[in-house]
Amino acid sequence: MAAIGSFALLLALGLSVYSFLAGIFALIRQHDESSPRIGETARRAGVMIFAAVLLASLVLVVSAFQDNFTIAYIFHHSNRALSLPYKFAVLWSGQEGSLLFWSLLLAAYGFVLRLRYKTDPRLFAYASVVIAGVQIFFLLLVNFAANPFGLLGGPLRADGSGLNPLLQYPEMVIHPPMLYLGYVGFTVPFAFALGALIMRYPGEKWIHITRRWTMVTWGFLTCGIFLGAHWAYSVLGWGGYWGWDPVENASLMPWLVGTAFLHSVMMQEKRGMLKVWNMWLVFATFWLSILGTFLTRSGIISSVHAFAQSSIGDWFAWFLAISLAVFVYFFFKNKEHLRSEHKLESLVSRESSFLFNNLLFMLACFIVLWGTWFPKISELVQGNKVTVGPPFYNRVNIPVALLLLVLTAVGPLLAWRKTSLESLKRNFFGPTMGAIAVAIFLMATPPSWGSPFGLRPWQDMTYFYSLMAISLCALVTFTVASEFYRGGKVISNKTGQGMFASMVQLTHRNTRRYGGYIVHFGVVVVIIGIAGAAFNQDKEQEMGYGDKATIGPYTLVCRSYTQDDKANYASEWAIMEVYKNGHMIDTLTPERRFYKASQQTTTLPAVRSTLADDLYLVYEGQNPDTQKPILKFHLNPLVMWIWMGVWIILAGTILALIPNAQAAVRVPAPRLVEHAAPVATGD
Amino acid sequence: MNIDAFLICALVTVGTYYYVFHLPGRLYLGPEKTRLGYLRERKEAVYENLRDLNFEYSAGKMPEADYVSLKSNLQDEAATLLAEIARLEAKAQQTPDRKR
Repeated sequence: MAAIGSFALLLALGLSVYSFLAGIFALIRQHDESSPRIGETARRAGVMIFAAVLLASLVLVVSAFQDNFTIAYIFHHSNRALSLPYKFAVLWSGQEGSLLFWSLLLAAYGFVLRLRYKTDPRLFAYASVVIAGVQIFFLLLVNFAANPFGLLGGPLRADGSGLNPLLQYPEMVIHPPMLYLGYVGFTVPFAFALGALIMRYPGEKWIHITRRWTMVTWGFLTCGIFLGAHWAYSVLGWGGYWGWDPVENASLMPWLVGTAFLHSVMMQEKRGMLKVWNMWLVFATFWLSILGTFLTRSGIISSVHAFAQSSIGDWFAWFLAISLAVFVYFFFKNKEHLRSEHKLESLVSRESSFLFNNLLFMLACFIVLWGTWFPKISELVQGNKVTVGPPFYNRVNIPVALLLLVLTAVGPLLAWRKTSLESLKRNFFGPTMGAIAVAIFLMATPPSWGSPFGLRPWQDMTYFYSLMAISLCALVTFTVASEFYRGGKVISNKTGQGMFASMVQLTHRNTRRYGGYIVHFGVVVVIIGIAGAAFNQDKEQEMGYGDKATIGPYTLVCRSYTQDDKANYASEWAIMEVYKNGHMIDTLTPERRFYKASQQTTTLPAVRSTLADDLYLVYEGQNPDTQKPILKFHLNPLVMWIWMGVWIILAGTILALIPNAQAAVRVPAPRLVEHAAPVATGD
Repeated sequence: MNIDAFLICALVTVGTYYYVFHLPGRLYLGPEKTRLGYLRERKEAVYENLRDLNFEYSAGKMPEADYVSLKSNLQDEAATLLAEIARLEAKAQQTPDRKR
């Protein structure tokens, strides 16, 4: 089996090299008679990369299912008692496998792209060459630096070392694929952007072509990030979902820049502006995806995600340098092509709101990048590593996030080009009054109502931020609602339909815009959930039979604690009854497991989630003196809103991907003009 | 490598070689991008902007003075594009005549 896997990887590398070189040759010699046929073989070789990498991946998965411990990777990341879904997840559970998985996803994206080449054969040929170049790098890695099919020396092992216990959680079967689909997917918009730059593509059609790729990729990355947050919350047992760990930051940076690109690209489509900026944003998103992988794989920055630290960091450093050099070369060679068609006419306009939005996203990204790299920078400058923690990120990023919320509210209500004072008054009076009313209500209500009511912003800075966040969320919600209402009213007046049907029709007519508004609303819901962290409470207590503990409105009674022994792990847990207002409302069983194969311990917190708060119990172990369990209790308000918000964001993203129902005006299809001279620039 | 593995690898190699190098007689190359094509795309974008502007005005998002000014700007932009499109189309029609 290992021989087939190794062969498939070598074949994939050969195909990538051929696709890259033959593709370049065909593009350079495009006026030669033979070049279209050579270009077609390059495209077909690109298609076959997917088949070869898929074969290698299948071999690895089948080896895991067959407990083939002659393969070192399977021995180190699986064991006989591991359940089947986790055996499938072995593919991305270690360094070699995850790099193979990365190659597979890139090959899959390339496969789809190359099959859809008829949309614009020349542009797709350029993009195909760029993707083949990136593919060569990852296939070189899995062939020569981190081969997943390396064989284990010595006698055949009876069982494997087992999968990292932290990864033995249902979400870990889908979190890495989602995250990787996001990381890898940003290669596609980058490939189109670089291709368009190299060929001096006339016009913005390449953006139309890549728009869906970018949105799909962004959706996957968003989903991956929040699945990771949910996994951390459900498994790591520290009561939080985001710890500003370098690996988390590595996923956030391309997300921030990718989000900036999704906004600023509209200016290029609508007004032919920000072409240079967009080109750099696409590149930065791709580059930061690779940089994040470099951070987590090289061991250059310490992380709680202590997987996969090795010498492949050097490979990544070279790849980052080469990709930067290639991009910078073509940028300076063809930057004249990226001349803007219009200038910013007013600081109060949709364009300027996008521009400020972009600057804030970039600032947030820079803060995260700075904080992530600071230990290395301080080591180089001072000789000792200084690590910055959550307080740094929170102190700097919260004001940036609040300003972004302001722009999220303001942007959609501003007109393109310029907005008059009269227009501002007309659009903002209602939503602003609504947001102020919400703020007053939150401050006026008694704290006994529970979080986030009874906010006293003068008592604590975190309460101030929380109040600001929730009030601005209200402002965004009111502006989004007013957009739907006003648009729906226009359609309702014209068609005589009811308001709800009109709003549905409105959304169908411009899915991207109104899907985007739904995404904004999802972000609002997420931020309300995050704002709840200002009211978190926790306590730790030893709990014998019948012992009671109180946190917030809940009283917890320990009914029992026990142990169990299974094939894969031994466990101990407590049975806790939850009371509220004197009534028993639930029973929770926080658990601690000891995985036999890997000899590692992990906790499984028990969480009772409601819209108001999460009651989060962690079994920390037994007191060796009393043999009683020690439990930690967290009360985390509004956390459920975060996960609900993510579903809304995903719904909005899917909606935005659906084609518009109809165009209001049909423009005749352009006739093919064969004798017009090809243009060098689009302006 | 055992014989089964060898046969699978050989089969994959032959299949790949056949798919990559066995090309059909005619290939799809697509139309070439021209400035005229680009201008038509821009024209569509300006028309789209005009539609958006009309809709936002109907929704009461801007006063009439703003609407008239913005609409006039967009119409000027569309007129410039249409003029260049017409010029290039006329040139494209004349070129074959001259050749004849």
